[in-house]
Formats: sequence, C-alpha cells, structure tokens
Amino acid sequence: MAIATARVSAFEEPPVRTVRRGAALWAVIRRKPLGLTSAAVLVLFVLTAVFADVLAPYDPLATQPEIRLSPPSQSHLFGTDDIGRDVLSRVVHGSRISLWVGLLAVGIGTGAGMIIGLLCGYCEGRLDLLVQRLMDAIQAIPGLILALAIVSVLKPSTTNAMLAIAIVIIPGNSRIVRGAVLSAKQNRYVEAAQAIGCRHPRIITSHILPNVTAPILIIASIWFGNAILIEATLSFLGLGTQPPTPSWGLMLSSTGRAFMEQAPWLAIFPGLAISLAVLGFNLFGDTLRDAWDPKLRRQG
Amino acid sequence: MYKYVIRRLLFALPVLLLSSLIVFGLMRVMPGDALVALMGESGNVGQRELAKLRTDLGLDRPYHEQYLIWVWQMVSLNPGDSIFTNEPIAVALKKSIPVTLELATLAMVLGLVIAIPIGVLSATRQDTPSDYVGRVVAVSGLSLPDFWLGTLVITFAAIWFHWIPPIGYVSFWESPWRNLQQFLLPAAVLGFRLSAATMRMTRSTVLEVLREDYVRTAWAKGLERRIVVYKHALKNALIPVVTIVGGQMATLLAGAVVVETIFALPGMGRLTVEAILFRDYPVVQTNVMLVAATLVTLNLLVDLTYAWLDPRIRYR
Repeated sequence: MAIATARVSAFEEPPVRTVRRGAALWAVIRRKPLGLTSAAVLVLFVLTAVFADVLAPYDPLATQPEIRLSPPSQSHLFGTDDIGRDVLSRVVHGSRISLWVGLLAVGIGTGAGMIIGLLCGYCEGRLDLLVQRLMDAIQAIPGLILALAIVSVLKPSTTNAMLAIAIVIIPGNSRIVRGAVLSAKQNRYVEAAQAIGCRHPRIITSHILPNVTAPILIIASIWFGNAILIEATLSFLGLGTQPPTPSWGLMLSSTGRAFMEQAPWLAIFPGLAISLAVLGFNLFGDTLRDAWDPKLRRQG
Repeated sequence: MYKYVIRRLLFALPVLLLSSLIVFGLMRVMPGDALVALMGESGNVGQRELAKLRTDLGLDRPYHEQYLIWVWQMVSLNPGDSIFTNEPIAVALKKSIPVTLELATLAMVLGLVIAIPIGVLSATRQDTPSDYVGRVVAVSGLSLPDFWLGTLVITFAAIWFHWIPPIGYVSFWESPWRNLQQFLLPAAVLGFRLSAATMRMTRSTVLEVLREDYVRTAWAKGLERRIVVYKHALKNALIPVVTIVGGQMATLLAGAVVVETIFALPGMGRLTVEAILFRDYPVVQTNVMLVAATLVTLNLLVDLTYAWLDPRIRYR
C-alpha cells in the first residue's frame, strides 16, 4: 500500500503587521491637518507653562497704577489691567495653573477610575454591582454642579477645585475601563493565562491592562480640556483659584467683566487662551480616537 | 412595556437614594463651618445662640435621623427653609424653576435649529469646505467657555448696537416681548454650546445611514436628493441624536448655572451658586438633589422615546 507522502513544510505564520500606537498616531497627524494643528497647540501650551518665567515679559503680580487699563501696545502686547499688571504675563502664567489643574485632576481621576474599572470589570459580581450603582449616583449629578458642591464644602482654592474635578472624572472613566476590561477578558489568552495558573495581579497587569490603555488615553485627553474648562468656570464663579494668582477664569471674572466696555482686552485674551487650550485638547482627543479606535475611525 | 418601565423605575430608585446619600454626606461635612460663617457675619455670637440655631436646624440630631427627615421633606415637597434668607425653599424654587425651564427650552430649540441642518450639510458634503467649517464650528462650541461667550455677547451688543438686555426679570405672561429680549441672548449662548455635540452626532449618523442599502435603493429609484436625505436618511439618523439630546440635559442644567449668573436671570442655577457662596446648605442640597432627580427621570424618558422611535428596539 502506497502511502502518499508529501513534504510537510514547517508551518510558517504569515508575518503580522503590528502597527505601533505611536506610528498610527503619527500617520493620522500627518494625514489630517487638524491633528497636526492640535498637536502644535498642545506643545505650545505645555512649553508656555513650563517656561512661563522666561517667556513672561513682566512679573504677573507687579502693579503699575500709572499705566492702568492701557490698551495693547508694543511694550504691553495684551495691554494692562485695572491696577496696571501686564495681561500677557498673567495669561502666560495662567497657563501654569491650567496645566497643573489639568495634569493633577486628570491624573487622579483617571488613575482612580482605572483602578475601580479594572477591579469591577475583572471581579464582576456584587462588588461590581454596588460600585457601579455608586458611579451611577455620582453621574446623576452634572459635573459642574457636583464640583461646585464639593468646593462649597471644602474651601475655594486651586487644589480643592482640582480635587473636585478629579472626583467628577472618576465615574465616566471607571465605566469605560470596566467595559474595555469585560471585553478583554473574553480573549483566549486571558483564559490561557488563567489555565496555566497566572495570579490575578499578573493577568490584570500583563494581559488586560494593555487592552485598556488606548481608551484611557483617549478619554484622558478629552477630559484634560474639560478639566481646564471646569477650573476656569469655578474660578470665574469665585470658587476656584483665588486672587491675586493669575488664573484664566479668574482674570475674566475679576477684571474682565468689570471693565469689559472700557478695556475689552482684559476679557478677550484670557478667554482666547482658555478656548485655544480646550480646543487643542478636544481636537487631539479626536485625533487619538481616529488613530487608535478603528471602530470610530470609519465614522469620520 | 409596563414591566420595562417598572424595572427601570426600580433601577432608578437606588441610584437616587445613593445620590441623596452623597449629597447629604457632602453637606454634613459643612454645617459647622456654615453656622460659624453665618453667625460670624451677624457679629459676635455666643455659644448659646449657636446651640439654639443648631437645635432649630435639627443639626443636633443623629445623622440617620437628619437624613430621614430630609428625605421625607423632599418627598413631601417641603424641603425646609433657607438659612440665609429664611424663605421657604419651596417658594424660592417655585420662582426660579420656570426661569430655568424657559431658558432650557429656548436653548434646546435654538441648539437643534443650529445643529441638525449643519450636521446634515456636513455629512452630505463630506470633506468639502462646508464640512470643514461645520466641524470647526462644532468643536468650537465645545471649547468656547460659555461664561466667556456670554460676557462677549453682552459687551459687544452694548458697544456695537448700544443695546443691553432689560434688567429685572419679567415673566413671559406679563410681557412676552420684554421676556424674550431677556432670554434670547442667554438661550443663544447656551444653545450654541448644546448644538456642538448634536451637530457632531447628526453628522456621523447621517454619514452612516447614507451608506445603507435602502438609501442606495432610494437613489436608484431616481428620487430627488431632498427626499432621499430628509425623508429616508434623516428619519433614521435622528434616533441616536435623541439620546444625545436627552443626555445633554446635564450640560444644559450646568450651563444654566453660568449663563444665569452672567445674564442676571433669577433661575435655579443662580439660586444654587448664591446658596453655595453663602454656604446655605439646605438650599444647595435640595437643588442638587432636584437636578439629579430630574436627570434620572429624563434619562428614563429618553430610553422610552428611543424604543418608541425605533420599532426594532424591543423592551427587555
């Protein structure tokens, strides 16, 4: 009996093209002008905040009553305020507060949201049910109103505004992470890791966490813009950063509104700064989503 | 259907109870401070007065009793008095709710009027200059702070048109024209912000629906562009938009806080901000709870509308 034999070639896996996240992002940034613009705005914003001391032409707190409310000129590009402080220097230093609040609020909010989401998604069961209802309850209160209520309990200050914003961020983040964890858990390799006896912390950190970093980063970049907006709103309402610290929202409410007709530059420049920073983060969030979330990419 | 409604209500109740616990807990951290602040403003006050006020406000009772009393007050629609003005909160709310309701309704209508046509235009002319303009307008709506937009609108209306909105709130029934003059600008500012998200959603859902088979069939039948886009595509594309509009109630109520403050409208938002500034905690906790209850109810209504609009969705 003849046995058909064939040379069995060693099974070769077709080369899988893995697109690195950085490369995917760079491809989208190059293809879409808005992506590039947003990245440029963010770089500008961060550099301004970091080098505020060097970039600001004057001391943001130094007063010169003799040149109060003077319009934009060569020596004071954004004009001066009601007690003669240089508006450009204050706007430049204001970027520090915004960046600081954004970084810490989003950092704490995203970190806590991620831990809660990971635990809820991984453990499920009663803990998940209870924590998710708690998150529902926090989300039932609009972010700004919750932040206002929290700040009213604490004392109005930049740090407390930041904490309040972090608390506002947690529920939404935890929900997104939880969803991503639930879907990541379905993967065969998680089952395999469980089967070979990997411990839970290892499964979570090595096999599940890499699947949820993309949604976390996307949502964090969008929240960064929102955090800046909420801080500005709280400061505008007198419940955030306190005078004389230069915060964009505070500049708008304290002098911007009072001298709006006489000196519109007092309100225009801080407002533009807030809008530009928030716009940059919103557009960058969109770009990240385009690059990393193929499901949404199709929708344009 | 009834089963679904009842089940959703049963889900909403614990959420509301938890929200009330959070609000109550938050406010309980404050009272000592609030009383001292309140008494401090009225001059030198002894321990005896402080203790009396504490008893009057029921703050000397155990926390669980205070909570139950407050929940009962909320349920029986009698949330007590303001500690700052001594006015019953129910009376203050009766005056301020219609203001916020009118502002929110007008803003919503203006927002939809701006958002839907631009969203459809953006989608039907994808990747053309008009699409880019539409998208930039939408992202700007999300990025421009409403307190800035409001300040600019008031100032430039005054500088360019020598026009300032009439001061002193007048209800619609007293003088409709004067009332509209007061509400149009704030509603436009708030509406612009609302329109941004709706515009983006309309664009992406219309884009998706335009690629569906039945739309291709409609084109193949030789139907006019207007009928294909507005009658066939838009009707289905608007279903997810309903959800986002419902979800925007939170943005609307938060935005009302800022816009009412800027335009000096005596609505719920301004009442809340003032209460927070004066640390008038009974008013703060009642208002925040009311907002939470409204949002939970609206979300339920949105889900029901969703299922009603799209017969493919079944209540489960």
